[in-house]
Amino acid sequence: MRIYLKFLLGTMLVLSALSCDKGFDEVNTNKINPTSLAPSLILNKAIISTTYLDGGSTLGMLSYNFGIVQQIITPYGSSLSGANYNQLNNGNAAAVWNNFYQNVLKQVVAAVDQTKDKPSENNTYQSARIWKAYSFMILTDNYGDIPYFEAGKGYIDQVVAPKYDAQQAIYKDILKELEEATAGFKTSDPPVVTDILYGGNVARWKKLGYSLMLRAAMRLTKVDPATAEAFVKKAVAGGLFESNDDNSIIRHTSIYNNYIANHLAAREKTNYYLAEPFVDYLKSNNDPRLSIFAVRHVGAKGGQEQTAARANSDPKVQIGMPMGYNDVSISATFAQKGVVSLWDYSQPNLNTVLKLDAPEFHVTYAQTQLLLAEAALRKWIPGDPATYYEKGIRANLEQMALYDAKATISEEAIKTYIASQAFVASKGFDQINTQYWVATFLDGNESVANFKRSGFPALKRNPYPGSELKNEDFIRRLPYPDGEIVVNSANMNEAVKRQGPNDMESRIWWDKK
Amino acid sequence: MTVLKGATAAALYGSRAKDGVVMITTKSGGRNKGFGVDYNMNFTTDTPLDFTDYQYEYGQGEGGKRPTTPNPTSGVWSFGEKFQPGMTQILFDNKTYPYEPVYNRIRKFYDIGTNLNNTLTVSNSGVNGGFSLSLSNAINHGIMPNNKFDRKIINLGFSQNITDKLVASGNVNYSLEKNINPPQLNTQDVSVATVIGTLANSMPFDALRDNTVLPNGDEFVFSRFLVRNNPYYSMAYKFENVNRNRIFGNIALKYNITDWLYVQGRIAEDFYVRNQEYNIPNGYAPIAKAPTGFVNGSYTQDIRQNIERNLDLIIGANRNFGKIGIDFTFGGNQRYARIDYNSVTVQDFVQPGLYTVMNGRIKDPLYSLSEKKINSLFGAATISYKDFLYLNLTARNDWFSTLAPANRSILYPSVTSSFVFSQALDNLPSWLNFGKLRAAYAQVGSDNVNPYSNALFYAVDNNPFPNPSGLSVPVGGINTSVVPNTNLRPLRIKEAEVGLELKVFDNKLGLDFAYYHKITEDQILAAQISNATSYNSKLINVGRSKNEGIELAVLFSPIKKGDFSWDINANVAYNTSKVLQLGLTASDTIITVASGGGRNLTQVVGKPIGQLYTFMYLRDSQGNKVFDQKSGLPLRNNVLQNVGSALPRYVGGITNTFTYKNISLSALIDFKLGHKMIAGRNTNFQRHGLSKRTLPGRDVGYVIGEGVNPNGEVNKTQVAVQPFYEAINPLGINEDWVSNAGFWKLRQLTLSYDATKHFSKKGFVKGLRVSAVANNVLMIKKWTENMDPEEALVSSDNAVGLDFWPGLPPTRSVGFNLNFKF
Repeated sequence: MRIYLKFLLGTMLVLSALSCDKGFDEVNTNKINPTSLAPSLILNKAIISTTYLDGGSTLGMLSYNFGIVQQIITPYGSSLSGANYNQLNNGNAAAVWNNFYQNVLKQVVAAVDQTKDKPSENNTYQSARIWKAYSFMILTDNYGDIPYFEAGKGYIDQVVAPKYDAQQAIYKDILKELEEATAGFKTSDPPVVTDILYGGNVARWKKLGYSLMLRAAMRLTKVDPATAEAFVKKAVAGGLFESNDDNSIIRHTSIYNNYIANHLAAREKTNYYLAEPFVDYLKSNNDPRLSIFAVRHVGAKGGQEQTAARANSDPKVQIGMPMGYNDVSISATFAQKGVVSLWDYSQPNLNTVLKLDAPEFHVTYAQTQLLLAEAALRKWIPGDPATYYEKGIRANLEQMALYDAKATISEEAIKTYIASQAFVASKGFDQINTQYWVATFLDGNESVANFKRSGFPALKRNPYPGSELKNEDFIRRLPYPDGEIVVNSANMNEAVKRQGPNDMESRIWWDKK
Repeated sequence: MTVLKGATAAALYGSRAKDGVVMITTKSGGRNKGFGVDYNMNFTTDTPLDFTDYQYEYGQGEGGKRPTTPNPTSGVWSFGEKFQPGMTQILFDNKTYPYEPVYNRIRKFYDIGTNLNNTLTVSNSGVNGGFSLSLSNAINHGIMPNNKFDRKIINLGFSQNITDKLVASGNVNYSLEKNINPPQLNTQDVSVATVIGTLANSMPFDALRDNTVLPNGDEFVFSRFLVRNNPYYSMAYKFENVNRNRIFGNIALKYNITDWLYVQGRIAEDFYVRNQEYNIPNGYAPIAKAPTGFVNGSYTQDIRQNIERNLDLIIGANRNFGKIGIDFTFGGNQRYARIDYNSVTVQDFVQPGLYTVMNGRIKDPLYSLSEKKINSLFGAATISYKDFLYLNLTARNDWFSTLAPANRSILYPSVTSSFVFSQALDNLPSWLNFGKLRAAYAQVGSDNVNPYSNALFYAVDNNPFPNPSGLSVPVGGINTSVVPNTNLRPLRIKEAEVGLELKVFDNKLGLDFAYYHKITEDQILAAQISNATSYNSKLINVGRSKNEGIELAVLFSPIKKGDFSWDINANVAYNTSKVLQLGLTASDTIITVASGGGRNLTQVVGKPIGQLYTFMYLRDSQGNKVFDQKSGLPLRNNVLQNVGSALPRYVGGITNTFTYKNISLSALIDFKLGHKMIAGRNTNFQRHGLSKRTLPGRDVGYVIGEGVNPNGEVNKTQVAVQPFYEAINPLGINEDWVSNAGFWKLRQLTLSYDATKHFSKKGFVKGLRVSAVANNVLMIKKWTENMDPEEALVSSDNAVGLDFWPGLPPTRSVGFNLNFKF
């Protein structure tokens, strides 16, 4: 009996010694995925994500931004509704928010955080700050007051319900960030060649920083002209883009597609059209860009009839879809406009500006020159506005070659067109910003922001009978996503109290009447 | 089969037993039974049931027009014209069809499923042990016409005395599963079930069947809604194959040191390899064309290898000291689980129709490895006195590799006692045949979280990106949307239960009553957080919740005369729950665990577990709906509203069994009551014009929403029919679909006949039993629109009560079972 008890106790002791948590740290270590990466690769991911990672997310652009500025619209409703009807579509209105917070800022905030105290990563740090400023500008221009100082910090600072900051404070910080980042680059450091935007070319990053500073400063022309003027001067003194070679471009590939193109080439192929005001403007000005932007499947009576054989990019045959119709009521326009069906209207060209690997532009030399033209017109900077204006137009015409060799506009055509667009100071704001409107085609965020700020081109109110707009002619902002009502309503409601109802009409801080 | 209820099962089975244990003891051949053969055959058919109640007054089309040219390709919209005799429609194939309702889509499209299962068992046993070998073969055809599922299992069980004191036993199984085209559910693309649910009500099935691809092989688009694919196209060109080879079983050695003391070692392994492949077909319309030289489409090949290994050593003692018996067990267990996952997805192909990873243009490989270990020590002691008083004490300590080092270890005890007073006490009335009181208190710990949830990980993209000088440079970043938690604690459940079991009046009436009270602490959940944090959710231990309830089972035999008996078995459970404390900070009183399309499942302090929230129509102070003055569309109340609890309060069933000689007939009626759901698929039926709710206004071509405008005046704004009914989807208003999720069903009918007595014990056939079974026989009562409340696609705890896409229809199964003994 005693010997058995000893055995019993002995076994228990052996078991007790074995069963603990020896080696558990090793077991619970992920041997496949790294817990860190070089910050420049993370910044690369942020830059790629800026122009969307899938087709569905581009519906924010397609249904709201492009429609607000009346360049691309759809007659269809339900999940595609937006600026075409001036109605609220929560899914599409949230697309910019979701992409920028979840995909862009997640990476760029991490890149900033991981480089801020590392002198060896200084240039990546400054680049990441510039990209962060650019990303937040897009968010705040669309939504107004947004989480800024506490945003993107779910992991870093464990912030689960970030506070909303006033747009005024956000812009102040964006300008400060751009000023510090541009000044912080060190040309003596070895170039970060793994940088996808500029291959580590610090001079170009600095020019991007100052060009963005110019863009941010010009946003404030109505609300705070003094700050605007001061920062325009700082930007000019710092050094802006000097040619199309400096442009900030994402060069999509057959693997990393242009997702607006991808979505329009497939799932929404027969659903989006060039809007009449855009086509008419280009047509009446004999704009050489029209044949690059547009294609019409002449005589198509249905989606299946949009065949290559019918495709025609001749400017003369282009017919833009009129604003204000749905897929049923649009049939009333066919006879008058000279089309046989809604599928017969002009569409964005999938062989040039929306090839699957067509580049997308974040900030361009053309836009910078046009902003300078306005600054010169305001007499904030020296020089003749007409010169900047012509340079801006030329730069955008020349930029077309970057889409495709066959989209190159001849020097002769460029000269003819510029000659036809003589600058008249009294119409200067209209001329400059209407050109800016064309020069931001397919960059819906920038196009909408500048249209809201400048009021040009003088578009007519979308006459759709079911519009939900009460006091405004155009959508002034996008509402916060439903997710925020669900999990961050206290902070969101503070912003609503400050800014006005969470609808499409409350004006954001810089968008003064 | 043994069912161990609740947490008291946990000491021996550990964290896996937190919801109770169903222990299936497999045959090991037994002792001294000699040679035996058993053959069992089971055959059932599954008939799809149709709970839809669509409108068949207005047919296919949009904007009040029927298709009169091959375009517009409406296909999935029933906002056309009123059916009139002699009307025709021209469909996507440019052919003319009568414009008439197509009824019974469920029965027309789906097959009657069949399940055939044959099992043959041979066994032999003698004085030193025995074995049992069984072969089973299941052949199933799903109701989805291209779905098949086969499974073959070989099982060998044995037990053998090696010496007087050493016994070896074991059980080994090999199974081979082949699942061809499991239905695509809860999605849009190539989901046949979604399309059948939303198909226009005048779409002839012939038109779809005859026109799946164009002459060039591309998908023949039948609806401008490109991700509503022709079901016959999806079935013919989209494939998915899942094969699983699995070996599982255990081997144990038990050494009886003396007649009261033994030691046993056991190794158990579950190993399987699961191969899965699926495609998106070449020429699929909703994805972009491939670059020159390639055709579009995609193909994925997955291999998953799964290992779960358990090692345990138990020492046990069992002695009687007069009236007192002691049973004592002490042991240790080590559980190791590993999953290796290899997957390659390729996109665009060189050779059309050749779905291989080598033939693809863009290749995206993925490999993941997940490992976890749980070490445990446990002890159990049962003390009995005279067969009527029992006391059982257990304790178990688990160490979880998935949790933070400081929180890895958890010790949890249990105490169970029972007192059979009908045996212990004399002078009890004679009508009392049996009486037992029991009381138990138990705890269980668990780590309900995946390995590596404690850190943030990055991933390098599979493909580099060219920098401005054309150099391919790498891209990578954070690859999760869940904030990890470095400080997770194990979940702990504390449960107390008291029960009373009685049998009275010659065992004619039996009663089993239980009351339980359960506290769950530190459950690990991914709580939704603001996505302005750059993440969607955060892993947290979510405080405390309480479950409390009673369970009552009554067995009553009203008639027992000669060969005839009637038995009634009724049981009902009433459960209430309450969230006591939540999450991240003390001020957190609400967390969202699932949300989408305005449908949310949340936990709220002070309310029962699983609260449903959705957006409602905006209403004025008198309760009138408010419509936008200009668009005439309904406006939304932007504050999410609580619409009830998703978990039933009452669950139960009543079985009536009639037995005459060897024939027995039983019927089970069951119910779940006292809970809500959001039958969100009705949003789809409404936006597609199938719901009867879309009829008002069709005759005049517009709708004037009944209510007021924001100025308080009666709404007079006309809206076209289709946009009016489509409006709720993008707004996320699900008010109309909030429904009582309860039901009463005639769940099962069984008729069985035991013919054993007709066979001689010495003959070739020694026994025969035949039974016929029907399941899901009749819906007696439900409240949900266009669906069976049990049909909701997602039934996991984290999404209960939510629903959006129509899924496979529920089925009624009818079949028979034959069991021969030789």
